[in-house]
Amino acid sequence: MKVVQTPLAGNVVCVKAEGRLDAATVPTLEQTMQRLLLEGQAKLVVNLEAVSYISSSGLRVLLTARRQSRSRGGDVFLCCLHPRVKEIFEMVGFMSVFGVYATSEEAASAFSQPAPTA
Amino acid sequence: MIKRRLTVPGRFESLAQIAEFVEETVRAANWNDDEVYHVQMAVDEACSNVMEHAYGSGWQGDIDLTCYIEDQGDLVISIRDNGKPFDPSSVPEPPIGADLESLPEGGLGLYFMRKLMDQVTFHFDEKNGNMLTMVKRRPQ
Repeated sequence: MKVVQTPLAGNVVCVKAEGRLDAATVPTLEQTMQRLLLEGQAKLVVNLEAVSYISSSGLRVLLTARRQSRSRGGDVFLCCLHPRVKEIFEMVGFMSVFGVYATSEEAASAFSQPAPTA
Repeated sequence: MIKRRLTVPGRFESLAQIAEFVEETVRAANWNDDEVYHVQMAVDEACSNVMEHAYGSGWQGDIDLTCYIEDQGDLVISIRDNGKPFDPSSVPEPPIGADLESLPEGGLGLYFMRKLMDQVTFHFDEKNGNMLTMVKRRPQ
């Protein structure tokens, strides 16, 4: 598991994960996101383009980071879902929980949009 | 009948090897990519639960996986460990589609196993430990 972070417009940071996201590899992503949150970076985009497998461990890390960032006035948006990962997200209703976007730029710009009321 | 067996240490580092083993076995039965992926995920969740809960907190041991492709084409996977006894009835159902924020620890893995496989059975006895058997019917 490799995790690369890139700054985006609007004080947003993109975290790109690469590889299998299972119980063995998820600490790498978890530690990166926790460090960013501790540094006060609450607007995060997770790019999952290069993640073709995600287990429940990975899903839990995303949920936890989302809860923590929202409590700090930010959010965690996701982008570039691999079809396999999208299938797993649909099984557990994640598509209606997370903001999911086609590109990291779209996800970053969504932070400046008013939140949907629905 | 195809029968394959793998024994690995019950640690997260074994998950990639387990995934390869499952893929090779299911491909040997000429199942498609979707089926391979679904079985891999169910087994990954099952083994992760063993590593985290049965062998967590100082317990150590191996995980034995046995895969059969039966003559009629169904896949049977047995996963055995010597960790703490596992009682599936103690795991609450995850609130799928509702309040995911309150997702209970461990319940999501069990949910995927039941969702992706046709049959999931747990058995424990003092001599043999935990035995999980999962069945996936041959794709039509």
